[in-house]
Parts: sequence; structure tokens; C-alpha cells
Amino acid sequence: MSMNAVSKQPVATMLAPAVILIGVFIFVPMLLTIWLSFHQWSSQTGFNTAEFVGLRNYEDIFGPLSVGRDFKRAFTNTAIYTALSVVIILPLSVLLGLLVYQRRVRGGTFLRTVLFATYMVPMIAVALVWSKLYSPTEGPINQILAVIGIGEQPWLSSPDTALVSIVILNVWQQVGYFTVLAIAGLTQIPPSLYEAARIDGANAIQEFFGVTLPLLRRTLLFSAVIAVINAVQVFEPVALITQGGPAGATNVLTYHIRRVGIERAQGGIGSAMAVMLMLSLIVVIIALFAFARKGNEE
Amino acid sequence: MTGSTRRAPFRANQAGLSHYALIFAIIAISIVAAFPLVWMVLSSFKTPAESMQVPPVWIPKTPSLEAYSEVSGVINAGRSFTNSAIIATTTTLGILITSLMAGYAFAKYRFRGRNLVFALLISTMFLPPIVTLIPLYRMVNSMGLNASLVGVIVPNLANAFGIFLMRQFIAGVPDDLIDAARVDGASELRIVFSVVAPAVVPAIAALALFAFVFHWNTYLWPLTILQGNTDDYPIVLSLGRLLSYNRGAMNTGLVMAGATLAVLPPLVLFVFLQRFFVDSIVSTGVKG
Repeated sequence: MSMNAVSKQPVATMLAPAVILIGVFIFVPMLLTIWLSFHQWSSQTGFNTAEFVGLRNYEDIFGPLSVGRDFKRAFTNTAIYTALSVVIILPLSVLLGLLVYQRRVRGGTFLRTVLFATYMVPMIAVALVWSKLYSPTEGPINQILAVIGIGEQPWLSSPDTALVSIVILNVWQQVGYFTVLAIAGLTQIPPSLYEAARIDGANAIQEFFGVTLPLLRRTLLFSAVIAVINAVQVFEPVALITQGGPAGATNVLTYHIRRVGIERAQGGIGSAMAVMLMLSLIVVIIALFAFARKGNEE
Repeated sequence: MTGSTRRAPFRANQAGLSHYALIFAIIAISIVAAFPLVWMVLSSFKTPAESMQVPPVWIPKTPSLEAYSEVSGVINAGRSFTNSAIIATTTTLGILITSLMAGYAFAKYRFRGRNLVFALLISTMFLPPIVTLIPLYRMVNSMGLNASLVGVIVPNLANAFGIFLMRQFIAGVPDDLIDAARVDGASELRIVFSVVAPAVVPAIAALALFAFVFHWNTYLWPLTILQGNTDDYPIVLSLGRLLSYNRGAMNTGLVMAGATLAVLPPLVLFVFLQRFFVDSIVSTGVKG
């Protein structure tokens, strides 16, 4: 690039729209969340009414009273929900990716289309449809299970199964996206590695664990991070169908933080919860990267 | 991006799953994956009596549009559709403009702090919206933009994914092309929109599709900032109002008609433009 070209770089003009918008609507509120977490503040009033209370909000959300019990429950629910989602979605996406990617029989691309189409569906519609599918008496899922001799399942209406039921609908909606990521990873594996493995006499299963899986590590790391971030955002099925119930079984953080911080206007407490969510995410993501690096060195 | 060219892992003579097992797996999984949506559409054409029937009626015998005419009465579907279209289109346009400009700067300019600013912007991709929701709600309220479409749209006019995608693709645009336009006396803004943009059309299409579908579907922020102003509700929020009708099998048809309407625009876009979606995921996923 010539000097003339360098002098013609209106960096500020080009970056201003994006930087100002992201700065004002993401970075400023993020810093405010941290600041507010040390204050008592009603989110129905201006920031100037916030009153400094030190660590009291944090003591409250980890304390023995209902504020603390509800938060700890929501935190645990979110952790279980996230772990289950990731543990189901990742292996499933690789399996489905292999099915789409294989060339032995046709229909792979069709499968990809069907799987990915569900990812385009608004979560609110997913929630509505599944609330009917799960309906204990006339819902199609229990009707089909009855045909093969499995008795009526309570799904969303029992504290024992409600959270898992939401995990299942989440997996159904999202797995297509992660399948496409897995396919992308598969296309990056040089065919010569498979040929080498075959010359060494590897069978299909040895090939999968010796070649495919190790070379998908980067893709799986990326998928895991995205799956975690998506999972903590679960909101619509809870807000629409269960309202956090039954008996708090589906009270997850996004729903709980909004309910406390905005509907109950306890902006300080809600912000402290949001900070804990942010910190937990940072820890989880660092752990995932460390785990992937450790695998690399082995 | 190389998805359609290199295929390798399986060979016909290899031990493992037989052809029939593969075919069976593909068909079975496709049915399970498609079932909820197929059931949604079928149910939307059932009469209330058919929805109630046990054993269930899977395919309506006399397809009825009753539920569709009823749903437009309950939630003012036309108005909601217009609101969704305004939100999704305006937000998408904003994202395209801000992403093109920033993506161009990050791809083609050399300046101090470039990597730091880029990393900071990209880090917001990993921030769940709930973390900023409470103060953002207050801020937009204080700006007087609450309970309005403007309040829904303005905070989302730029995003990290768009900047990232544009930088990836603009980096591949030859410098010579840009320098030639400079020699011709074109301004930098002109270069972005009439030289660089035409060179990255597939990426723009992908970003436009993603942004449109995402903001058509998004629920949490409009719910929070519209504060019950149902006149400005996008279709996904109006669907939520069907909740009160969502008790018992009686209203299954109604709810499914509403859901079908809301699903249609993103699904139609996807079916026709699927290649762009898939390509952009592949490129950001792998290079990212």
C-alpha cells in the first residue's frame, strides 16, 4: 500500500458507527451492570437514585433467605440445563454430521436441510408447538409412546422431568446448526490421513477415534463455547409455558434475572446475579480452552 | 467453503454400517426432526373438534382455515407482521452498513490499537444479552424510546458477528481494486459501498439473511422494552399472547395457526437461500 493510500485512511469515520453503537448499547450497560451490583437501586428510577451498599447484594444472593435460595436454584438449574445441552448436542452433531457428510447413500443434504430448518424457527413457536406435543393426555408424544407400550409421561408438568423436557426441545431446535459446524470441520480433514490409516489396517471405528475425532477438536471447542452461550440464554419456553415451575424446577437465570431486575425492579440484586452469570461463563470458557489445549499436548 | 468438493471418510467395501442401516437412519432422523413442524402445520388446519379427538386425528379430514381467521382476530396478525417486518428490515440494513464500514477498516487499514479494538468488539459476541438487559432497559427508557419500535431497533444496529464476517471476506478483496478506485478519486465511503460491497455479495447475502431471521425471531428485548404496548408487538410477541388461549386441546388449532404464520417468513427465506446460510457458518466456524 502506498503512502498516499495510508494517509487516506479515515479510520474514525469507518469505525464510528459500529464502535459508538456497540460501546453505548453493550459496553456501557455491561459496566453499569457491574457498578449497579454494588448498589441498591430500583430499575424504575434513574441511575442517580442508586445507593452504594458494598457487597450486600452478593451476600443476599448467596444467603439463606428466599433471595438466595431462588438464585442458587436458578444457578443450579442453568448449570444442569447447560451441561445436559452440551453433552447431548456435541456428540449428536458429530454423528449427524457424519451421516450428512458420507457419500455412500443419498439423502445427506436433505437431512441437513431438515435439521437446519428447525434452527430458523423462532423459539417462541418452538415453545408453543412443544407445549402441545408434551401435553400429558392428548399430546402426540405420549400417544406415540402409548402405541409402543410406554405409559403416560408428565413432561413439563412434573418437577422431575420439566427441565429435561426443555433441554430436549432446545436440542431439537439447535442441533442442525452444530451439525453444519461439524460438517465444516469434517471437510477440513485431509483425505490422505484416512488413506494412511487404512494402509495401517485401521477399521472404521479406529479411523473415527484415531483421525476424525482428534482433528475435530477445534470445531468441537468452538461448538462447545457457542452451545454454552446459547444454553444460558434459554428464556421463551420458561417464560411462556412453565413460568419457572413446577416448584422452581425450570427457573433458569435469564428468566430469573429479568423477573427480579425488571419485573420486581430490584435492579441491584438482578445486576449482582448478572455479574455472577458473566463470571461463571468466563470460567467455563477458560476451562473449555484449557481442556482442549491439554488434549492437544497429549 | 470446500463442503461440496472433498468427500472421503467412508468406502463401500469398508466394514461398518450397511447401506440399509444408513438409509434407515437418514429417513428415521429426518422424520423425527421434521415431525414437530409437520404436526404444527397439520394441526393448524384441524377443526377444534378434531383437535380434541382421542385417539388423535393426525391428518385433518376436512382441512379448515377456521383457526387462521380466528387467530387474526385474537392477535391482530397483520399489524404484528408489519411490526416484525419493520424491526427485521431496519435492523438488518443498519447491521449491513455498520458491519461493512467497520469490517473494511479492520481488513484494509493499518492503525494503532487495531487488534485491541477488534478483540474488544468481538468479545461482545460471547456476552449473553441478559447480562446487559437491566441497565439497557433503564438507558433506553431514559432516552424516551421505550414502548416504541425505535427502542426495539436502535440498540441492535451494529453487532460483532457482522463485523467479524465482513472483515473475513473483505480481507480477500484485492488491494489493487481499492487502490485503483482511490486513484480515480473515489472517497473511502464510496469505495466501501460501490467497490468493496459488490465484491463480497455472498457474504452480504449471508449476513442479511442471518440478521433478518435473528431479529424476526428475537423475543427477550422487544418483550422488555415494549412494556405491554401491544400495538407495536412483533409477531413473536403476539404469539406469546396466545398463551392465555393455550390451555387445553380446544385451542391447539388456533395456537398452531399462529405459530405457522410466525415460522413462515424465516423458513421460506431459508429454504430458498440455504446455501448462503450454510456457507457463512462454515467459513466463520472454521476460520474463527
